[in-house]
Amino acid sequence: MHQRRTSVAVMRAVVILANPNPESLSHAAAATAASSLQARGHDVVVHDLYAEGFRAAMSADERRAYHGDQPVLDDLVATHVADIRSADLLVFVYPTWWAGLPAMLKGWVDRVMVPGVAFRFDDDHRVQPNLTNVKRIIGISTYGSRWAYVKAINDNGRRTLVRTVRLSTGLLTRSTWLAMYRMDTAGPERCGAFLRKIAQTMESL
Amino acid sequence: MNAYVVFCHPHHDSLAGAALDRVLRGLERGAHSVRMSDLYADGFEPALSLDEKTNQLVDHREHPEVRPSLAGYIDNLTWCDTLVLVYPTWWGGQPAMLKGWFDRVWVTGVVYELPAGKNRITALLHNVKRIVVVTTHGSSKLVNAVQGEPGKRTVTRSLRALCNHWCRTDWLAMYAVDRATPEQCDRFLDRVERHLRSLR
Repeated sequence: MHQRRTSVAVMRAVVILANPNPESLSHAAAATAASSLQARGHDVVVHDLYAEGFRAAMSADERRAYHGDQPVLDDLVATHVADIRSADLLVFVYPTWWAGLPAMLKGWVDRVMVPGVAFRFDDDHRVQPNLTNVKRIIGISTYGSRWAYVKAINDNGRRTLVRTVRLSTGLLTRSTWLAMYRMDTAGPERCGAFLRKIAQTMESL
Repeated sequence: MNAYVVFCHPHHDSLAGAALDRVLRGLERGAHSVRMSDLYADGFEPALSLDEKTNQLVDHREHPEVRPSLAGYIDNLTWCDTLVLVYPTWWGGQPAMLKGWFDRVWVTGVVYELPAGKNRITALLHNVKRIVVVTTHGSSKLVNAVQGEPGKRTVTRSLRALCNHWCRTDWLAMYAVDRATPEQCDRFLDRVERHLRSLR
């Protein structure tokens, strides 16, 4: 085991979790992802946004400061900024609501991924990526609907994280998506299989 | 026409704020009935709480007392035939504040119901026959197209699927605001007012 660890480059992973229910499958998924990564010797930081009391809405003052020199006004946001700046891997764990990110996670993107952190404007006022340290984005989400319905209606949360956020990390960033559909009728077997799939994916990175 | 305008921007002196004024003026000139919510002014909390998650499948028609702080929004949502959303597009979609309004206010028994043992919800918000979106994008239309317009699809697909079967969606968007001239902004605002005024 020790030899195997030294052969794998140590990565820094930041897990962003957004689910109000500590008993949720999202929490189990985040714990599984974190422990699987740690077992391979990677550094893992988990941010449970609800538990940390993260504020979802960008404030009026933050909006005023957005295009200025210091857009980060909040200590908790500053902690998250420092973590993602040194991250190799971003893992987002959340339930999909109305085909998109929960407000809590959307608010994390709005408030943490600010100019100077996630992206910068070039001389022509176009957006350039600034989080090129991130080599991979992993999304882990639960859906009430079936796969076919999610595809028909569009997986807007996935698009936001894989396409929009990736414009800040650079197009070389890879993405991995782990989804569990039909949550409302899922039993312990399917939940267990989902957690095993997460563990396998994390161990194979 | 009964128009319910939902405004989501922390500042009124923004382009979204200017668009809101023109929306209201257009609706007034069209002699429509208007109700409005300003989510930032209301201090709306966008994050769905653990309590709300636990009670997510409690039918609002039978137990309206479960969500007392949302009663006004829900009443407006069921009163209107036209829903007008005015907001800036951030990260390809609605600001967290507005996404949270969808997460929390679009409740079971009013907007949808989930039959027991099913994975597919049934739409109930049949009174909404039109959704008008007025939004501003910092980046260009091309960048937004590459991103896949998650905010647009949230409205035209996810939300519309919960409304009247014949519900229409009107997309009034200004792109590349970060590099726009005042004249371009004025043209957009004129278009917004004209459109809202001419609604039937």
